[in-house]
Amino acid sequence: MLFSQVAFYVLAVIAVASALGVVLNRNAVYSMLSLILNLLSLALFFLLLGGLFIATIQVLIYAGAVMVLFLFVVTMLTPGGQAPQGDDPLRWQWGAGIGMGIILVGALAWAGFTGAISSDAKAAGVSSLTSAITAFGGNTEAFGMALFHGYSFPFEITGLLLVVAALGAVTLGRRPTHADE
Amino acid sequence: MPLSAFLTVSGVLFAIGALGVLVRKNPLIMFMSIELMLNAVNLSFMAFAHFLDSAQGWIFVFLTLTVAAAEVVVGLAIIVSIFRSRTNIDVDELNSLKG
Repeated sequence: MLFSQVAFYVLAVIAVASALGVVLNRNAVYSMLSLILNLLSLALFFLLLGGLFIATIQVLIYAGAVMVLFLFVVTMLTPGGQAPQGDDPLRWQWGAGIGMGIILVGALAWAGFTGAISSDAKAAGVSSLTSAITAFGGNTEAFGMALFHGYSFPFEITGLLLVVAALGAVTLGRRPTHADE
Repeated sequence: MPLSAFLTVSGVLFAIGALGVLVRKNPLIMFMSIELMLNAVNLSFMAFAHFLDSAQGWIFVFLTLTVAAAEVVVGLAIIVSIFRSRTNIDVDELNSLKG
């Protein structure tokens, strides 16, 4: 058997077993560790399928950042301590944030109205992945060309989504202050 | 390996994830099962990208990753706030909206 076939079967067994571990474990922390194993095996699957960059961000973002957040919540669900009271000490950040927002909106509107995004999409038009990887000189380069020349608007929308998610988490997570009562 | 092999693994993982959402009562584990389903779909996207020789599957996986990160942040915040008010996060107990 070829190496890729052996790798496929081993990975398939690990992925399914760890997925079952997530569902069947009584303890949430063990489920969590099982899920990390599952995400790592999926990253190796992505590697097997030639997605070098996606496999890397799967390990970095998913198995790393997102799962650390998960583990924090699983282990620290009991709230403790008091939120700091009083005036917002970082009031100036409102101004800086509004300024940055205006710059971002302006840049996006400029890119949208001058047609830069759509013309880039036509020019790059990644139709063949293998030829794109050789043409642009690498896996990450091919992904970047496909993302920023064909899908830059969805990419910017994900930025908006992440800002909304962060604001939502802060709003949901904060304790009521004096002003609310 | 043929495309169908990857799609089979993806389907099995998705089914296990769906099962987890349906059978478990701990919202944290239900959440992990949702992550399992998202990743199963990511695997099929990657398989299609490889076999159709197109970068669009990669783009979709990237967007799914971002959406999943946002979803985890908001979902965990909701679970934490529920836990604060009830000190019990069994989903079967959360029936105060029952008619």
